[in-house]
Amino acid sequence: MTSTIIQITVSELCEREELSRSVVVQLVHYDIAQPLAGSSIEDWIFDVTTAHWMQRAIRLQRDLDIDWIAVAMLIDLLQEREQLSEENQRLRQRLGRFLMEDGS
Amino acid sequence: MEFKDYYQILGISPDTETPDIKKAYRKLARKYHPDVNPEADAEDKFKEVAEAWEVLKDKDRRAEYDELRRYGGQRQADFEAPPGWQSAAGNGSQHFGGDFSEFFNSIFGGQFNQERPGASDGFGIRGQDIEIEMPVFLEETISDASKPLEYELPTFEQGQTRPIRKSLKVTIPAGVVDGQRIRLRGQGVPGQGDAPAGDLYLHIRLVPHPVFDVEGHNLMVTVPIAPWEAALGAKVTVPTLESKINLTIAPESQSGQKLRVRGKGLLSKTGRGDLYAVLKVVMPDSTSAEVQELWRTLADKAAFNPRTQWEEKQ
Repeated sequence: MTSTIIQITVSELCEREELSRSVVVQLVHYDIAQPLAGSSIEDWIFDVTTAHWMQRAIRLQRDLDIDWIAVAMLIDLLQEREQLSEENQRLRQRLGRFLMEDGS
Repeated sequence: MEFKDYYQILGISPDTETPDIKKAYRKLARKYHPDVNPEADAEDKFKEVAEAWEVLKDKDRRAEYDELRRYGGQRQADFEAPPGWQSAAGNGSQHFGGDFSEFFNSIFGGQFNQERPGASDGFGIRGQDIEIEMPVFLEETISDASKPLEYELPTFEQGQTRPIRKSLKVTIPAGVVDGQRIRLRGQGVPGQGDAPAGDLYLHIRLVPHPVFDVEGHNLMVTVPIAPWEAALGAKVTVPTLESKINLTIAPESQSGQKLRVRGKGLLSKTGRGDLYAVLKVVMPDSTSAEVQELWRTLADKAAFNPRTQWEEKQ
């Protein structure tokens, strides 16, 4: 059985993505990500889902050459879009239970 | 291989100045960036656009590319770099993880393609992380669930990409939510040389349930009831994720009314959410003449107009 992990340490994250600690600090500073635990940078631990958004933020900043404030706004909007699309799907499913199929 | 017309990819003419090329690149990069654009072909388009920019932004690389393009490269259906061709401008910045096309590598050297993202410790290259969607049933979120998982990984052998199938048994921790990601260390693409394998990320997707709907940590179940059950009240059996429970419907209940069953929802950090039973009044498919007659009597006696709100407004 392979165990699943839902957390990632700051050193693993930096090694994976070839990041410097200062980029991680920027991500936290602009509230794109918040560590789950850890008082100093070296002890920071992130949720894996948060790490996914951090990676997206880093790619966007690098590829589109935009500043961190814009990246933070973009990430907020992308997260909101994901939530809305999931909510939309759930509401459609619920609505479907009350409405009759077409033609019936 | 196909000759790539970088000018055409960016939608510009070959005499465009660098600042305008940058403008064209930025516009298309914004449009096709795979972290923003969910379309399936966005990633390929973005790579093409970024590759075009990688070449055209650099004066020396652009000059070399223009030379090849001018001397017939673009007219060849099956492009090959001229014999003895060696780029002087090949090395450059890593812009998007070094995932360049065969065409690019044939002109500017293969060193780009070797530099994949991930730690390179001098002895090899760490394998790529991969992400796959993991469908999870609502029933499986109540306690730790063991699930078989099959997926394909690309491996590189003698310069060729070959997929290998992998199967694993994974533990999905109790209380996972839709959209959550979990990580399996070392189950991604194998590393090259002595370098470690990448990680596998599972993107949790809750499978739509035939009976239950999800709202946060609460569940909803639609309970069909007969009109007389709504009028007189009833006891009905309602499914939950684990078992069935008995629910009392009060007299004079309405369609759409919600009844809360505590602690029968999904797992949350603070315990269990609730289950809401939503009443739905349903008419029988067909009724006999005798029943029709009873409805008529009821209509006379009840003297009920459900549309008084509309009439007041007129």
